[in-house]
Amino acid sequence: MLDNKSDQIAVYELSFEKPDEAKSKTPPDITDESLRAPLLAANAKWFCNLRWIVISILLAYEIFGQSESILSFLGLSAPGVWVLVTVLILTVENTFFLLYTRKVSDPAKTMANLWGQIVVDIMVLTAVIHFVGSLETAIAFTYLFHIVLACVFLTRIQSLIVTILAGTMYCGCVMSEHFLEILTPTTIFIHSSENLIKLSQPDVVVWKLFMTNGIWLVVWYLASRLSSMVRERDIELAETNRRLAAAQEERTRHMLTTTHELKSPFAAIHANAQLLVDGYCGELPDEAMNVAKKITSRCQRLTTEIQEMLQLANLSSSSQRKNKWTRLDCAVVLYWCISQVESIAREREITITTDIQPFTFAAVEDHLKMLFVNLIANAVRYSYPKGQVRVTSQVGPTGQVLVTISDQGIGIPADKLPKIFDEHYRTNEAVRHNKESSGLGLAIVKQVAQMHNIKIQVQSQLGRGTTFKLFMSEALKKNSCSWPGREG
Amino acid sequence: MAYLLIVDDDDDFCAATAMVLRKFGHEVQTESSPEKALARMENRLPDLVLLDVMFPEDDSAGHNLARHMRCSSEKLKNVPLIMLTALKSDSPLGFIDCGMNDPDLPAVHFLEKPIEFNTLISKINSLLA
Repeated sequence: MLDNKSDQIAVYELSFEKPDEAKSKTPPDITDESLRAPLLAANAKWFCNLRWIVISILLAYEIFGQSESILSFLGLSAPGVWVLVTVLILTVENTFFLLYTRKVSDPAKTMANLWGQIVVDIMVLTAVIHFVGSLETAIAFTYLFHIVLACVFLTRIQSLIVTILAGTMYCGCVMSEHFLEILTPTTIFIHSSENLIKLSQPDVVVWKLFMTNGIWLVVWYLASRLSSMVRERDIELAETNRRLAAAQEERTRHMLTTTHELKSPFAAIHANAQLLVDGYCGELPDEAMNVAKKITSRCQRLTTEIQEMLQLANLSSSSQRKNKWTRLDCAVVLYWCISQVESIAREREITITTDIQPFTFAAVEDHLKMLFVNLIANAVRYSYPKGQVRVTSQVGPTGQVLVTISDQGIGIPADKLPKIFDEHYRTNEAVRHNKESSGLGLAIVKQVAQMHNIKIQVQSQLGRGTTFKLFMSEALKKNSCSWPGREG
Repeated sequence: MAYLLIVDDDDDFCAATAMVLRKFGHEVQTESSPEKALARMENRLPDLVLLDVMFPEDDSAGHNLARHMRCSSEKLKNVPLIMLTALKSDSPLGFIDCGMNDPDLPAVHFLEKPIEFNTLISKINSLLA
């Protein structure tokens, strides 16, 4: 978010996806047994929620059915006892299945729960169809809801069984009314007797049954085919996602090994260059000393870059799950971080002033130090000589902490603010001011902030300075998957 | 003056570190593998050991030797041990003592490579004091 309204001061807020949200975008792996049970349970609960809607509609009919004017306006007859009986059965059914879903986590039992719901629903629906009007109304098509839902949640064979069950129950109902004469055809519409007689002709009944069942089979075929295609895509997507995660893990591991391999020879070069510079091999002529110092300096710079690459790779690798989270006295941490950059500040005659209120924060100590050191070191490096860097912390009434690190340095152009947290990104002004930087420092800051759910706001004015505001709140962090309390 | 043992597969690093430590009056021996180092320690107990973490034959050979010293050997249990690692990069700055104690490796100190000799000397002095 870039806000340029204030006079020449650009404001940028670093936003990132919470790890939980990122994770939720990953398609569930429906082939994984461990995930099947929760998925089935979620479906069973959803069925129950839909049923409450049906119960509400029936109750509404019962309530409004007490008013004759409403009934005559709608052309409906008064609700019979069947409405209340159906509401009662559905309520009992729904309560039972909801409780059962909460208690049972076994996939087989949850599947039995789903089947139980489907069979009871179809039976109750058949009774409702009989009372509403099996031939005269389009109520029979409500079976389609069950057929389509079965296609979505069950296998093709299972959904076919549901379709056949619905068809059989409907045929049984109609035949009981018109051929076997076990049930008397009935309807909720007032002016329907003539229609009912016409529809009761045997050839019309047979044709109607034939067409209705045919339509259901076609709907089953289309819905189940589409559903199985979507399911296959889901499985493919989950597999691709798994492969990508594995490739990323492998890449990070490879990078860690490679950078380690690079770091070891540098350790030897650095050690030997120190021998020359520190005079362990005797006094060197001035020119030779200059060369040795250049080697040491370059060696340090390269080592720092490798160091930052390792830090970044470590932060994004899965080994982060093993991190040790502790409640830290952040005032102590901040003073320690300031002490680490004091020598650079002294060299450039930069004063670091503080106004730090004590506060605690649960974090990975090394990572929080990395974040603060990077920001304070940046403030010092990008300050003008004899400038001032200020580090403060304020604790709000709700426990939220605001840490600010501000300098009076070169500043960052407004259009470049959104890019400063990218890996290896450096503004031209930054490169001109300080050549010795890898451009990874703020990428590390971003990773650590994301892990700890620390909100960062950057305010900068070109040539006048930059302020990093860190909003640290335990309440924010409780939503994070890396929060130790949630991992036990 | 103390008897120090450096265990690292990098000969150049061993030689440079040994040279500095000898200048400070210590007696220094170097070994390029944990097995040889263990044999040498059985013969003569060092006052302090500098041990690399990763070796070409096994990435965790250094850790294994440290664990053996701390957990399986009565004789070597109390020998001060500084582990030198190029991979412990969670520390905010590259050239400082990580200052961490691995719960599996009690009383083991870590220094991150590349090491500054001044840091190493002061660490050794504090452990030998």
